[in-house]
Amino acid sequence: MTAAVRMTGVGKRYWQLSEQAMLLRSLIPFARPTKKELWALRDFDLELEQGDVLGIIGRNGAGKTTLLRMLAGVTRPTEGSVRIRGRVAPLISVGVGFHKEMSGRENVYVNGMLLGLTKAEIDARFEAIVEFAELADFIDTPVKFYSSGMFMRLGFSVAVHTDPSVLLVDEVLAVGDLAFQMKCLERMKDIREAGTTIVLVSHSMPAVRLLCPRAIVVRHGHLEYDGDTETAIAKHHELLWAEAEDGASARQVGDQAFTGGATVIRKELFEGDKPIRVASGEPITFRMAVRFERPVTSPMFAFTIRSDDGTLAYAIQTPMKLEHRSFDKGDECEVELRFEPRLGGGNYRLTTVIASSEGRDLLCSDEIGSAFNVPARLWRQGVAELDGVVRVNGTELVEQRTWRLGETSSDARSS
Amino acid sequence: MAETVAGAGTDGVATTAAGAVEHVIDSRPETRREWLRSMWNHRSVLSMLARADFHVRYKRAALGVAWAVAVPVIQAGVLAFVFSRVIRVQSTANFGAYVLGGVLAWSYFSGTIATGATAIVDGSGLTDKVWFPRALLSVVPAIANMVGLSVSFAVIVVAMPILGADYSIRLLLIPLGILLLVSFTASLALVLSALHVYFRDVKFLVQAALLVWFYVTPIAYPKGLLKSLSSVIDFNPMTGIVSMFQVAVAGPQPHWGRAVGISVAFTLVLMAVALETHRRHDRLFVDLL
Repeated sequence: MTAAVRMTGVGKRYWQLSEQAMLLRSLIPFARPTKKELWALRDFDLELEQGDVLGIIGRNGAGKTTLLRMLAGVTRPTEGSVRIRGRVAPLISVGVGFHKEMSGRENVYVNGMLLGLTKAEIDARFEAIVEFAELADFIDTPVKFYSSGMFMRLGFSVAVHTDPSVLLVDEVLAVGDLAFQMKCLERMKDIREAGTTIVLVSHSMPAVRLLCPRAIVVRHGHLEYDGDTETAIAKHHELLWAEAEDGASARQVGDQAFTGGATVIRKELFEGDKPIRVASGEPITFRMAVRFERPVTSPMFAFTIRSDDGTLAYAIQTPMKLEHRSFDKGDECEVELRFEPRLGGGNYRLTTVIASSEGRDLLCSDEIGSAFNVPARLWRQGVAELDGVVRVNGTELVEQRTWRLGETSSDARSS
Repeated sequence: MAETVAGAGTDGVATTAAGAVEHVIDSRPETRREWLRSMWNHRSVLSMLARADFHVRYKRAALGVAWAVAVPVIQAGVLAFVFSRVIRVQSTANFGAYVLGGVLAWSYFSGTIATGATAIVDGSGLTDKVWFPRALLSVVPAIANMVGLSVSFAVIVVAMPILGADYSIRLLLIPLGILLLVSFTASLALVLSALHVYFRDVKFLVQAALLVWFYVTPIAYPKGLLKSLSSVIDFNPMTGIVSMFQVAVAGPQPHWGRAVGISVAFTLVLMAVALETHRRHDRLFVDLL
């Protein structure tokens, strides 16, 4: 069977003008503004089967938006080709072409037609759209009187009712309240089961993890990784931190001077003897091997665990000026940190600093660190997992549904 | 082989995932044939956008579409008064009807060009999400303003006896004039809106040019006033277009047929240029918005 989406050798070049083009200047041959070429996407190959759910991750400016625009047919590739079977519905930002003065009803028609439906097709879906958006009482009210939540609900509702072959979703899962988000997820699951291919761009790793069994990492316009989501997310974080490392050339940390003298030659996270990237709840052991390049007496080791957004989850260090042993040039040692991952769902990064005994000289700073993920538990937020339980009249209220798009849902009871 | 693309296929073809048409987008622009077909397939989007545009414009005004008539009528009244009473232009018998006919056509033209020329940039919020030929955006004002234009001329025809003008077979020129005026205006809006994407100066150049253009078109004064220059002014495409309306409501004027011929030729060339420009540049606009 032919692929639902096939991109072959796709590249997109933009001209970066050093200044705004002006009519008069461009008519004078010698005064034309100089322009620099900029490839937003290059040598890009991607294939999606019908019913695939793909997450696209990468930092800002990596080419994600260009990729979506290309799939939506809004912009033309400079080289290569994009082939798509059937209709594409972009959900890039909900409410495309909404007119504030017009009623919800009129806007459903405008929006639906822009997304490629005929009037008859919208007539047939109208009830379902309004019902899904929960706006039956307000459908003849001008949308300028809508709250932002109502506005987005209507836009989302139209887009998911267009029965597209390919649905492009860009950061819209933050629509409305939690209950509506769940409804959106269920709807996406339904349309995926009906054979729609879904492409999701998100900066929210939990959303990508929840929805997509497969993800790609885009970096500097190139396809950096294509495969399972966990690996993609880990890859993405490694890249982020590696780039942060490149940028941090000033090696002055507080009043500490970076002197060098130690190197991390090996590091890994374990549960028991098993190397991990995703925590299961068992105690985690971080092991690293350090080599000293000069004689060091009683070095100090410090570890920091931070979440995605930089929140400090935990830090621990060996006591200052605690005598333990001396190392000669060329000596190696094994350092181990064992901890209970009582953490909320999310990505964490464990970084290490090795300093001299009194903490003045910074021998080594592993800012890239090691990444691990703690699977998110529904309805919980925060860096700490305090194992809270809610009871009403003595009855525990526990989630009984699951929403993973890549699998069929079952009544997995998580308690 | 290369189907017109993605986005909105309003052709009513069932596009459920199985057995759907494959769309190919690569660096080549569509062929002329594909381009015309995709414009045709999106005609319902055009009419819907035009309706929305019209609706939004007049919805909150108590007098609604009456303003589309009232504003040019006031303008025509002032011009007719100034040119016939103050400057004392030697005029034909129905100078009032003559000025009114010209001004109504002109106000459609200038109002449409002013919004049409910036339509692609102004509509970027729509077109960077979902694809349809962006040329439609530039044509929307030309279509939406047709309502006002038609109402204006209906009113003028009813009011002709008050202005002392007689009904004649020449009134049949009005629908033809509307056809030519709308075609010319839409074509010019298409070309200008494409230019405006690349050069934002266009917006201001258009405003300035419209001011001058009004006075080099015989609207507020009879064409005969220009004497030897009147044949030069025939090469202004708006001369022929407004003359159709003036002739319809106020009687014949010297060699207006030639002016109309020039306008028709001009319109056809401009239309071809407009379609070709948009065919080649359509999917590149978004990179500059």
